[in-house]
Amino acid sequence: MMQAYLDGKREASYIGNLVTLLILGFAVLGFCIAYGVLFGWMPLGERANILRSDLNPYEYIVAVAGLIYGLGCARTAYGLMNREQASLRWSQWMYFVTVIIGGAILLSVVIPVGLKFALLLGQEKDLRALINDDIGGLAPIALAIGENLISISLLVAGLVALLSLLVFLIPPLERLRETDGVRWIVAPPAKFVRAILLVFFVGVIGIIIAGTFVVPLYPGYTTIRDVETHRIAAGLLFLLPGLFGYMQARQVEEQSDELRRALALTPGKFIRAELAKSPSAGAIIGFIAIFMGFTMATDLFLEPSSVASFLSNVATKGVIAIGVTYLMISGEFDLSVGSILGVTALSFMQFLTIGAPVFGVMEPIPAALLAIFVAFILGAINGILLISTRIPSFIVTLGTMLAFRAITLVAIAGGRILRYSDHHEALPVIGISNIVFLVLAVIGLAVVAFTAYRVLPVLYRATIQAWSVRENSGDFGTSSALARAVALAVTLLILLAIVVWLAAVLAYHGSASGGQIVEVGYFDLFNGRVLAIGSEGDFFHMQIPRSANVRLAIVWWFIFVVIFHVILTSTSFGNSIFATGGNEGAARAQGVNVDRVKMQNFVIVALLTGIAAIYEVSRNPGVDPRKGTGLELEVIAMTVIGGALLSGGYGSVVGSLLGALIFGMLQTGLVLVGIESRVFAGTIGVIIIVAVILNTLVRGAQRN
Amino acid sequence: MEYTQKNDDALVDMIDIHKYFGSVQVLRGIDFHVDRGEIVGLLGDNGAGKSTLIKVLTGYHSLTRGQIYFDGEAVRIYSPHDARELGIETVHQDLALVPLMSIARNFWLGQEPTYEVGPFKFLDKKMMASESIRALADVGIHIRDSEETVGNMSGGERQSVAIGRAVYFGKKLLILDEPTSALSVGETQKVLDYTIAAKEKGMSVIFITHNIRHVYEVADRFTIIERGHKLGDFYKSEVSENEVADMIVTGQIPERLRLYDEENGDVA
Ligand SMILES: Nc1ncnc2c1ncn2[C@@H]1O[C@H](COP(=O)(O)OP(=O)(O)OP(=O)(O)O)[C@@H](O)[C@H]1O
Ligand SMILES: [Mg+2]
Repeated sequence: MMQAYLDGKREASYIGNLVTLLILGFAVLGFCIAYGVLFGWMPLGERANILRSDLNPYEYIVAVAGLIYGLGCARTAYGLMNREQASLRWSQWMYFVTVIIGGAILLSVVIPVGLKFALLLGQEKDLRALINDDIGGLAPIALAIGENLISISLLVAGLVALLSLLVFLIPPLERLRETDGVRWIVAPPAKFVRAILLVFFVGVIGIIIAGTFVVPLYPGYTTIRDVETHRIAAGLLFLLPGLFGYMQARQVEEQSDELRRALALTPGKFIRAELAKSPSAGAIIGFIAIFMGFTMATDLFLEPSSVASFLSNVATKGVIAIGVTYLMISGEFDLSVGSILGVTALSFMQFLTIGAPVFGVMEPIPAALLAIFVAFILGAINGILLISTRIPSFIVTLGTMLAFRAITLVAIAGGRILRYSDHHEALPVIGISNIVFLVLAVIGLAVVAFTAYRVLPVLYRATIQAWSVRENSGDFGTSSALARAVALAVTLLILLAIVVWLAAVLAYHGSASGGQIVEVGYFDLFNGRVLAIGSEGDFFHMQIPRSANVRLAIVWWFIFVVIFHVILTSTSFGNSIFATGGNEGAARAQGVNVDRVKMQNFVIVALLTGIAAIYEVSRNPGVDPRKGTGLELEVIAMTVIGGALLSGGYGSVVGSLLGALIFGMLQTGLVLVGIESRVFAGTIGVIIIVAVILNTLVRGAQRN
Repeated sequence: MEYTQKNDDALVDMIDIHKYFGSVQVLRGIDFHVDRGEIVGLLGDNGAGKSTLIKVLTGYHSLTRGQIYFDGEAVRIYSPHDARELGIETVHQDLALVPLMSIARNFWLGQEPTYEVGPFKFLDKKMMASESIRALADVGIHIRDSEETVGNMSGGERQSVAIGRAVYFGKKLLILDEPTSALSVGETQKVLDYTIAAKEKGMSVIFITHNIRHVYEVADRFTIIERGHKLGDFYKSEVSENEVADMIVTGQIPERLRLYDEENGDVA
């Protein structure tokens, strides 16, 4: 497998180094996992105390797998390194630095995350208490080191994140090398940094999920059998970052030809182009820095209740920020979203309580639809005004912001609050026949079957193909075939899990008598508090701790992010949004109907704002005349932090997600560390300016 | 003035074209035609109205008054999309590419290839990448990476991409507005070669420039515009390069040619 490389058929480039490093990193990761399990830092199952002899079967499996994985990676990396050091002088220096950095990143990420996880996951939640107990031997010392390691390595992780940031910004080494008359320029390790950041980012998300859903399950359990499925889920989550990094490495390797072509670029251009390709790069760095800052500052930050509260608080704004991002990319923006939210919320409440003009007092679902239609009209007014008058959107929407606000101010006289409970005894309930669930489950099964039919053969063929050519495809033939096999297996597992779940739904509702009505709280459907996942007795049943206020809108938000991300990046409509904001004239000259694009975006913002208004009302069924005031600037701030350019043509939905998360983390985190909440606005201000400075750097690169 | 002469040989026949921007009169009754398989040099000083004329033809600007015939039929071109449907492909002087977008996305802008999944259409990104690289290579432009942002390219490279795109998609008429302004001598020669290649494929070309030297070699005929009026049409056999250059600068038709034009009833 190594032969082709060593024979020099495959020219060593910096890609070789990066991939070597990544593989080395995974070796470290594997060893860390094995070490953590074997020495009790990472208890994975039921056991009496933390002594080595108490390992349970699951831990043995994980430890051995980690060891094998680490050894395999180390072996590969060793071979690659030999070749590099022998032939390339510069690589020694680069190795020195990057091995240190890469190793430090991985250690500092894996160990604290592992430990933190272990602390939360294990029975003995408080290691300090254990240190004081008389366990004997070296255990107390080990425990003390372990505990301090958390803070030390978090600190290192912070420094490394800063370093990674610098790698993005500092002009990289520019060296030329002659190989067979071809001039290679040593391009900066931007991909590498990105891969590392991605690994970390996914890890963080895994921890959040674990912290929110998995950890709280433990205090009450008694036997291994009770929790085994969740343990496996937790273990998978923990392995997720490694898996992801591994796939990223594969991607780097696959793209090496393309990158080789890119090598002819100057490093400065290359790095800016890399930055330009990922509008959310700055937001990712900011997210990590702020996340780590708060994690270091207070233990409360990773508590499920904090995570749940910050997610629940920004979910509605995050939904609006998606639309604002679309609009901003197309070169416009909307100051009236706060007022649209107010009007929609008011309309919804009005339809439910006092009544609509023609329909009278309405049922919740028609009322919500009609309210969203009101939002649609307001958005259309914005769009039509902009297109027909050609007045800048700042002015148009400034006007409509004030005008729409007048609607709520006039409709609700004297600063009163329109409350649902003043008009109705009980919260609205809708009855859903269990036939609906049956039909949905059948449709779901059909979709799964269709997906499996489309996706699995492709993955299977790719695996077979990669395996059959592994000998001839460079150093990573085998590993890339394995990675494909893993992707196939994971996909299969996910599909199977969905099938099992749907089958459970079918069985549950199928056994009930026909036409039975399930009553669902209407407001709960939109933005209710999630108390548990799955119903009692389900395979996936999980109770969510009482302290964690998880709202359904979070789920809707993430679904919207995915949908709108795909629309923006993978459809013609998305392409025309970018073109419209990037160079309106060129877009028009290529046949893009820019007026229609802008109109559509104004409507999209308004619709999303309308949906957000329904969430808000569902969470707190009362509307005051000033509802939504100030919202417009908050969502613009989220969007800008997320990397969108105010001048248009650039941005991403994922960026808006990160911007909203940063916003939420600051809001919750500052309170947790005991800083006056009044500082919040100032902090956001600083963050915006930093974000814009980053964006301007990128824009400067585009102009050059 | 009603002017309804219709030329059946012409691919494009624009008759009595007027264009106002508000009260500013930019085109004051221009007649302009392009025959099938012909390369027309559209010439004139800065601000003469050349770009405006072709923007009217390509639907970018609406025309204030006048009539356009395409392929012998009266057409109304309301948008660049309509023009494209007719088989007109344009490299605009000032509206070529979107700097913040990648080469592939610029190349396919407005007519992206898609594949369908149920009711949804998604961009065929693989095809966008490979086909744009291939198509640009066909016209002699070798790009490194179709994902590269256009903003990172040099002015000449950008112009090449825009030209390559127009050559790839053009069906009947290719319009090049100052295509060579940012190009080196070698690159300029390439553009002239594509122009001739397009003609050999049976396409017509409008080549706009204010520098006669760039186009004298390949053009069949010159149309000179002067402050919104047409000075005249001149076949290459009738005029020398220097005479054309003089006309562009002075806005006057030399005595010799004026007689000739009067015979043809084609006085400016
Ligand atoms: N959108 C517009 N609004 C108002 N005036 C315009 C507009 N576009 C062009 N003009 C005016 O019309 C005149 C002709 O412009 P045009 O761009 O057609 O010139 P041109 O012949 O292409 O010149 P050049 O050789 O510099 O490209 C100029 O005086 C210009 O100021
Ligand atoms: Mg011009």
